[in-house]
Amino acid sequence: ADTWRYAFEEALEEVQGKYAQKFKEEIEANSDHEIQLFPFGTLGESVDTMEQAQAGILQFVDQSPGFTGALIPEAQVFFVPYLLPQDNESLFKFFRDSKAIHELFPPLYAEQGLELLSMFPEGEVCMTTQEPVHSPEDLNEVKFRVMTNPLLVESYKAFGATPTPLPWGEVYGAMQTGIIQGQENPRFFLESTKMYEVTDVITCIGHNNFTTAVMANKDFYDGLGEEDQQLIQNAADAAFEYILDYQVALGDESFEKIKEAKPEIEINILSEEERKPFMATSASVEEAFIGMTGDKGAEILAQMKADLEAASK
Amino acid sequence: MLAVGVLLMAANTIANVVGRFAFGESLFFAEELNRLLIILITFAGISYAARQGRHIRMSAIYDTLPPRPRKALMIVISIVTALLMFALCYYAVGYIETQASRGRVLPALSIPVWITLVWAPVGFFMTGAQYALTAVKNIVEKDIYLSTNVLEGYDDDEMEV
Amino acid sequence: MALTIFSIMIILLLLGFPMMIPLIVGAGVGFYQMMNGFGQMETMVQQFMAGIRPASLIAVPLFIFAADIMTRGQSANRLIDMVMAFTGHIKGGLAVSTAAACTMFGAVSGSTQATVVAIGSPLRPRMLKAGYKDSFVLALIVNASDIAFLIPPSIGMIIYGVVSNTSIAELFIAGIGPGLLILVLFSIYSIIYAYRNDVPTEARTGWGDRLRAVREALWPLGFPVIIIGGIYGGVFSPTEAAAACVLYAIILEFIVFRSMNAAAIYETAKSTGLITAVVFILVAAGAAFSWIISFAQIPQQVLTAIGITEMGPIGVLFVISIAFFIGCMFVDPIVVILVMVPIFAPVVKSVGLDPVLVGAIITLQVAIGSATPPFGCDIFTAIAVFKRPYVEVIRGTPPFIVILLGVSVAMIFFPQIALFLRDLAFGY
Ligand code: NA
Ligand code: NA
Repeated sequence: ADTWRYAFEEALEEVQGKYAQKFKEEIEANSDHEIQLFPFGTLGESVDTMEQAQAGILQFVDQSPGFTGALIPEAQVFFVPYLLPQDNESLFKFFRDSKAIHELFPPLYAEQGLELLSMFPEGEVCMTTQEPVHSPEDLNEVKFRVMTNPLLVESYKAFGATPTPLPWGEVYGAMQTGIIQGQENPRFFLESTKMYEVTDVITCIGHNNFTTAVMANKDFYDGLGEEDQQLIQNAADAAFEYILDYQVALGDESFEKIKEAKPEIEINILSEEERKPFMATSASVEEAFIGMTGDKGAEILAQMKADLEAASK
Repeated sequence: MLAVGVLLMAANTIANVVGRFAFGESLFFAEELNRLLIILITFAGISYAARQGRHIRMSAIYDTLPPRPRKALMIVISIVTALLMFALCYYAVGYIETQASRGRVLPALSIPVWITLVWAPVGFFMTGAQYALTAVKNIVEKDIYLSTNVLEGYDDDEMEV
Repeated sequence: MALTIFSIMIILLLLGFPMMIPLIVGAGVGFYQMMNGFGQMETMVQQFMAGIRPASLIAVPLFIFAADIMTRGQSANRLIDMVMAFTGHIKGGLAVSTAAACTMFGAVSGSTQATVVAIGSPLRPRMLKAGYKDSFVLALIVNASDIAFLIPPSIGMIIYGVVSNTSIAELFIAGIGPGLLILVLFSIYSIIYAYRNDVPTEARTGWGDRLRAVREALWPLGFPVIIIGGIYGGVFSPTEAAAACVLYAIILEFIVFRSMNAAAIYETAKSTGLITAVVFILVAAGAAFSWIISFAQIPQQVLTAIGITEMGPIGVLFVISIAFFIGCMFVDPIVVILVMVPIFAPVVKSVGLDPVLVGAIITLQVAIGSATPPFGCDIFTAIAVFKRPYVEVIRGTPPFIVILLGVSVAMIFFPQIALFLRDLAFGY
């Protein structure tokens, strides 16, 4: 019996934490191995745990592919807007069947010493702002906090906002005092980080679904017997199926909680028609992505689009 | 180097504010540049602090010892500290090699991460050298030295560095 | 393993090793044991670098720099002269003003270390001149600075709020009551101290002189305007306000007062760099140490051994208080919150405690821990800035700790200290 360590980027009761708990439950129910869970911050930031997984100190690690850009530039494709299905049924199909995820990405992760076990959606990314947003014009002059990632910056420039970098720890305060007027995050995160307390409007434009990758250290994984490898794959699959429905329910529940805590909040799910001008901006972001990643990136982008099409049928 | 680091950090942070207000553009590299500068300040600073005998320690028991054992203890402290600093220097070089081999890059500055870290092993080495020299000085000279150029005892001129 | 590590650390500390050595050895022994050898020491270096990575740390050297320029030049003295003109005739007036200034500056800057420097550097010499003992002055500055954790904005509360899924707005308001209570108690103690030690007072200043003092301080009064107005007005983040203060301090001392030349400013920058390095290397080593403690799951083991799940609400609050207090004595507060809040979360829920109350109590313990030996970050800062020996910096601490612990116990039995304002504001 071995003890395996698994670090993720969120708290125990958030989406990654729930996935990890399910994964742990499956492994421990079907073997005599034990899994120790390390939620966000307990072993450092996301970059730190990623390196620790590469060094073999951690057996399993979660990292949103968007954050993996410094290591695997192609993974930033998940920051290109409107590449993922906007309805749940197609979204699940996409994540189950995507060729990009299941065939093109694993070798890229393997080059970094990582076995890609799974990618799963964590929930639709929505904006919170002080004023209602129905079109890109409404984002004019809005200082919008984004992570320091060139593609996110490009996206929000294209949406018409003024992208403003700010460390996450300062966002709540900066929103309260008015240094910035907007930020984006997955639905459940808007609730758990209390962003609604310091903003008045939530707007969902369907541009992205926050995605996470689950990885194992490759040397560790390759050194396991077939039985243990199967055990891990089964646990990852079970946790994946569990999390698909869970994250949808959690997203809805989060919005209910927000409405309860702040009845005057305005939640706008933009219509197909209203989304169009936002969707029209994605070409410039795609260009920037290909500029950063070259042919390999172009191949992945094309495959993602093909996968999107297949899932939407 | 140390002073320049501090001045650059202030200038960089102010420039970001000015950029945001005057031109409606934030400097996306400002945070990364500050991160790089804080590493420079910390690791350039620890060897300077070692030379000035300014590293924080609790000397209550040490101070009560008679001169001879106190001197012996100071030599032991200096040697052990020097060795640990050299060990950290060694592992820091290893860490930088690993970083370089993975090719991680800072997203906004787009310079390799390992370059931002080179001050760490340099700082550890210089600090180790300072403590090694302090040990030598204490062995050679009659007085007890806190560092290569500071004799024991807190000075009264406390607002000056 | 934990016991071995803590014993080695205490011994090295007492022998007089530089403070970074106990932390480095403690971390090193932990790594050696957990990783079966020296094969993974690079991760220790990684955590050194991670320790000094947080963006919020940048405010510390910048505030140190600004305060250092103000103190070496004339700005600080003009400000203090003005305060003295109004409070100099009151027994303990200067000490109470210092405590209040620490609370206010800490509240807006959000950094206890920056507060120690910014308020302590100019006010300490003046308090010494006024007849206060250094041990009292140092302890007052270090402990009053920690009220910063409780008064919003508070980075500790933001992190607690996110980890425990608690309203940050409610936490912010719940911190104000205990924060002000502590300020009041510190002030009362300061006045008692002034009477018992018969600290002399100055003659009451006439209104003409008071007006003159205010006029002299007009330029330096721009500092509170920049900090408070800038931050609450949405112009700056706290870090940016610190940089703006540096710029303003240079403008005042270099151009307006002509009290410093370029060489003096360069020297000040160098001194700032040294103080920063001396404190930050401890932050870095502390990060490596707390990483291995977290990796070895030592908090979980200890808490399971105590049998926390069997206790009632009061018992749980006591265990939480003690655990965070001890944790923060050795490890960076933010890491303590991240590691321990999830461990306690199920118990807090099962005994039905208000998470806002728990958050306020935890924040208070974090504040106390940062000012408490052996590894209190604010103590390090005070040593580095004021160049006084460790023991002297902590000698006057006990009465303050007694007050803080008294408030902790009071909060457990009278939660309204924290919740009164919250209930009022949110209509519970
Ligand atoms: Na504060
Ligand atoms: Na502490």
